[in-house]
Amino acid sequence: MHALSSYLILSALLFSLGLYTVITRKNAVAILMGIELILNAANVNFIAFSKFVTHHVEGHLMAVFIIMLAAAEAAVALAIILNLYNDHGNINVDEANALKR
Amino acid sequence: MPMVNLSIIILVLPLISFVFQMFFGRRLEGKKGEWISISLVLVTLLLAIIMFANMLFDYQPDFRQEAQFTWLNLGSFQLEMGILVDNITIIMLLVVAIISGLVHIYSVEYMKDDVRYSRYFGFLGIFTFSMYGITIANNLFMIYCFWELVGLSSYLLIGHWWEKKSAADAGKKAFIVNRIGDIGMFMGLMIVATVAGTFNYELLFERIGNGAWAAGVGGLFGGVDPNTLLTWAGVLIFMGAIGKSAQFPLHVWLPDAMEGPTPVSALIHAATMVAAGVYLTVRIFPMLTPNAMSFIALIGGFTAFFAATIAITQNDIKKVLAYSTVSQLGYMIMALGTGAYVAGFFHLVTHAMFKGLLFLASGSVIHMMHHSLHKLGDHETDAQDMRNMGGLRTKMPITYTVFLIASLSISGIPLFSGFLSKDAILAGTWAYAAHIHDGWLAQAHLGWLLPFFGFSAALITAFYMFRLMFMTFHGEPKNKAIFDNMHEAPRLITVPIMVLGALSTWIFFSLPSFNPLGGEGWFHHLVQQAKSVVPTGAFDAETFAHGLHAAHYPAMYTSLIVAGLGIGLAVLIYLLREIDPEKIAIRLGVLYRGSLNKWYMDEIYLHGIIRPFLKGCGAVATFDMEIYDHYVIDGVGRRVKSLATGTGVADDLVVDGAVNLFGIIFQWLGWTLKFVQTGKIQNYLIYVLIGVLMVYLINVF
Amino acid sequence: MDLTQLALSLKYFIPEMVLTGFIVVAILYDLFLKPETSHRVGFVAIAGLVVTLGMLYQQQGIPATGIFANMFALDGFATFFKWVVAIGAALAIWMSLDTKELENRRVGEYHILILILVLGMFLLVSATHIISIYLSLEMVSIMSYLLAGYLKENSRSNEASVKYVIYGAFSSGIMLYGLSLLYGLTGTGYISEIQAQLVLGQVSPVMLVLVTVLLLAGFGYKISAVPFHFWTPDVYEGAPTPITAFLSVAPKAAGFAVLIRFFNVALSQGDPNTPSWLALPGLDWPMIIAVLSAITMTVGNVLAIQQNNIKRLLAYSSIAHAGYMLMGVVVADQTGIAAILYYAGVYMLMNLGAFFVAIQIKNIYNTETIADYAGLGFKAPWIGIAMAVFLFALTGLPPTAGFVAKFYLFRALVQFGDGFLWLAMFGLLNGVVSLFYYMRILKAMYFDKMEIPEKLTAVPLHFNVLMFILVVPLLVGWMFGDPLSIWAAEAVQFFF
Repeated sequence: MHALSSYLILSALLFSLGLYTVITRKNAVAILMGIELILNAANVNFIAFSKFVTHHVEGHLMAVFIIMLAAAEAAVALAIILNLYNDHGNINVDEANALKR
Repeated sequence: MPMVNLSIIILVLPLISFVFQMFFGRRLEGKKGEWISISLVLVTLLLAIIMFANMLFDYQPDFRQEAQFTWLNLGSFQLEMGILVDNITIIMLLVVAIISGLVHIYSVEYMKDDVRYSRYFGFLGIFTFSMYGITIANNLFMIYCFWELVGLSSYLLIGHWWEKKSAADAGKKAFIVNRIGDIGMFMGLMIVATVAGTFNYELLFERIGNGAWAAGVGGLFGGVDPNTLLTWAGVLIFMGAIGKSAQFPLHVWLPDAMEGPTPVSALIHAATMVAAGVYLTVRIFPMLTPNAMSFIALIGGFTAFFAATIAITQNDIKKVLAYSTVSQLGYMIMALGTGAYVAGFFHLVTHAMFKGLLFLASGSVIHMMHHSLHKLGDHETDAQDMRNMGGLRTKMPITYTVFLIASLSISGIPLFSGFLSKDAILAGTWAYAAHIHDGWLAQAHLGWLLPFFGFSAALITAFYMFRLMFMTFHGEPKNKAIFDNMHEAPRLITVPIMVLGALSTWIFFSLPSFNPLGGEGWFHHLVQQAKSVVPTGAFDAETFAHGLHAAHYPAMYTSLIVAGLGIGLAVLIYLLREIDPEKIAIRLGVLYRGSLNKWYMDEIYLHGIIRPFLKGCGAVATFDMEIYDHYVIDGVGRRVKSLATGTGVADDLVVDGAVNLFGIIFQWLGWTLKFVQTGKIQNYLIYVLIGVLMVYLINVF
Repeated sequence: MDLTQLALSLKYFIPEMVLTGFIVVAILYDLFLKPETSHRVGFVAIAGLVVTLGMLYQQQGIPATGIFANMFALDGFATFFKWVVAIGAALAIWMSLDTKELENRRVGEYHILILILVLGMFLLVSATHIISIYLSLEMVSIMSYLLAGYLKENSRSNEASVKYVIYGAFSSGIMLYGLSLLYGLTGTGYISEIQAQLVLGQVSPVMLVLVTVLLLAGFGYKISAVPFHFWTPDVYEGAPTPITAFLSVAPKAAGFAVLIRFFNVALSQGDPNTPSWLALPGLDWPMIIAVLSAITMTVGNVLAIQQNNIKRLLAYSSIAHAGYMLMGVVVADQTGIAAILYYAGVYMLMNLGAFFVAIQIKNIYNTETIADYAGLGFKAPWIGIAMAVFLFALTGLPPTAGFVAKFYLFRALVQFGDGFLWLAMFGLLNGVVSLFYYMRILKAMYFDKMEIPEKLTAVPLHFNVLMFILVVPLLVGWMFGDPLSIWAAEAVQFFF
């Protein structure tokens, strides 16, 4: 049994990695991966707390829901990215900056 | 509450007329579009008659229905809109409805082919709406709202022919002078709201009477005496009436308002809007302290006398009537000030009828004069100048007859409505002078000024009215060509004036008795003296009533004598030509010129107030431009050279262009911030993180 | 939770179930329609919304309860927002049926998506558990992403949806992380129990602030508060205009609902069913929100000044309005919340109105630039008048309900005490600034010279009817605003 803090550190790391990915990567799919990382960081948190703090299955349930939602979101996001590709010919988010000012 | 519902319908119909005329009127000009407005107003007349009949049927002096709803809930204070229907409301509604309806019909002929026909009817509609609003209001705030609306409508209607500079100026003058009165009214309203916590009449009077007013004053204004504050409240609210009812010294707008079409003068400046001031005073009567009443009575009396002295020399037919209106309004105000509550309101009603009639009848004359001049191709001669008229009674018999009726009424001759009301007022002043000892006027033994003003004004009134009659309708026509082309006015004009003529006789007011010499009719039964709720020195209705009774016959005889004198003088000078008016004018030199020039009131205002004020504005502007600018420009120049004193630069910029700088900052901010919106999604995300970080850091430290 | 509880919850859930039913019906109906006739789904959608509102109306008078094991709540507060959202959606669908942007394409899914969005918002405003908040928030967001990018071949629409999805997922991810930390700190997901735990004072203030800040990233994104607003101008400009109109009103209102519910239930001490309550000790979120409010208003207004495109201008102005509404959140008492509710209702009408006018102008004259609005007041007088009323209401001038709404907000702020007078000053100042750019439109419509004056423009009758429906409440609300404000005040008393 690892202590709670290990899990929390893990999730914090995941979160930071996710943040970094989202902000720095130019490829839209990569950004999506970053977002998944963030969501999963939260999931780890939920599960960890559920095991060590509340001893209740609530956290697990929430994690399941979130996983499901992340999948749906990814589906939608990918559809939108596909649309972007059809339009621009690439999925570099920097190129999508016509709407500004 | 059927009466209240009826009054809401009455209120809204003219507004619909306004909206309709504004949006669709143009298209329907020439296609009888105005009859929609007329029908709407006639419906309100019908409803008013129904309410009136109801009132007569009930015959209860204390009839009263009230309804209200909260408009804005401000927590500790509610702003309400409400309707109060009692006998006074119903009578006033009827008066407004009758005059407005007749004026609408009259205007069809009078304003035919006018350049802004539909707009005119629209504005008549909004005026009628505002006037109804004042009538049915149950609280001072609501009256104030409609008060302003009425002022606006008046401005719009006076300036109907705004191409004419004098008309546009007259509209502005009316609005501005009214506004000055409104400032006082607003201050009075604020005092009432602060001390009594309500605008509603009933609640207000209750709180004054049961001591809540005194309690509410507390330590305001450094511990002022509640009674004094009450006097001030009454006087300040009355200032609104001074403005609206053209009392001295705010009477100067009314004669200029004659620039508007004559039906407008009849509706607004004779019968209704100017009566609104009297109506307001009637409504706040219970809260008037003896000192306030003294002030009111003096203003009224002085105005009555003052205006009459101007009317005797005027040559423009409408100007005579305008000053006559000011004078008669003075009578009503004086009546209320002396405590002759019923008489004052009674005179309001009778005056509306016969003054409205006088204006419409003179409009009939002017209208036909215009036609005649048009036929002769003459565009120079003034159609309103009595010196171009004369002998018209053969050519315009109907107009002449009703004019005669109205003149007899205003002079206070028995068998006519004016006699009943004027007589009551004069008796009231007599009673006041003899029996009332409260208030600074009586205490300074100046009470007898009021009967003096009253009776002398009566004499002068009779004189100038018959002067007008004789100059216009009797004697030899001054200009044969014009005379030959004159004829009676069309039916749309003559029928309304005949209706008003009938209403100026005594019978409608003396019922159920037929006594033309006064006594008690339905009016005196239904409208009774309002009880004063002032805690100390309340108006003693009993003593006054006794005095009134005692003074009734003496006052009547005196007024008859005085009226006879006036008419007699007029006959001598203008009918029989025994005395030459020109010679008198020369003899009385200064007095004549003073009267003709309205005692130079406008000039006094211009030189005494307006010019100095404008000069002051100019001085401030010059100061601003020459001194500040000079200083700043030089200062900037100097300081730019010495960069070390950068603070001085910032300082000067603030002083000079504070407002500009504000605007520039916002523009610059906007322009710069635009660049933040780069269009790149990841930049946005970074901003999110920065935002999160900032908020966190600010909070933790 | 046993079967009886489930049955009871279902009984309280009828409007949502009706809505779901209509969604299914719409999906099925769409299967049988060709692209040219696919707009008929819109009528089904409107019908569905009307029936749902009817069901909502039937629910009046039920005391505040939790349903589905307290995951959601049925209270006056939620019901008020459901009304606002549903009416806004119905109006937006009506407008969508008219706009040229959506012609000649399949719009069946469009209307279905809007209905699902509404369902999501119904859930969002009544959510009382961490996971239900997150799930309904995401439901709303995902549908919005799709709707924003609905015009598939339009590259602006594409870009809008890409930015929206990345930004939205990012922000809600951060929020979820914050929620997970909160779960850990308090050991429970129900917001009322969270409050019970936090009040005990055993949570370190540092963590509490961190969690709040993370949550603000998510809530702030939904209501377009600065500095979480950056997606708004781009998405509003790129999305089809009826969607922009709808997004600027309904999800924003729903976002406020959940923000209020969360902050006032979870992060306060005291019972929100009493007239006033305080924030948790050590967590002065009213001040945080006050600062956010001030910055949001200012940025929104300042940026709007620079705009020449009406959609972008209205987008920035909606950011400013979010700032105004945040003023009400600052006040932790019932008058403040009631003022927000009132403002949300009025804002729905006036913002939708302004957008709808923009849509109609785009339809007729094919322009979104304000300079091209010159002379509109005379070419299409009724539109001009309607737009004037909307602009007056947006600025907060009498005689419109917009003035009353702003007034209630300011009054709540001022009555609260001296602490936030500066915010009221900010608000007033911003109102003045907003006057500038709103009146610029008015000036263009009435005072700018237009080219050769044409005949009066033909405007479809149903559009005039729509304008009438929107304008009249704004004008009537000036005098008779009481019914709405009473409803708002009562709604606030039933927090679950």
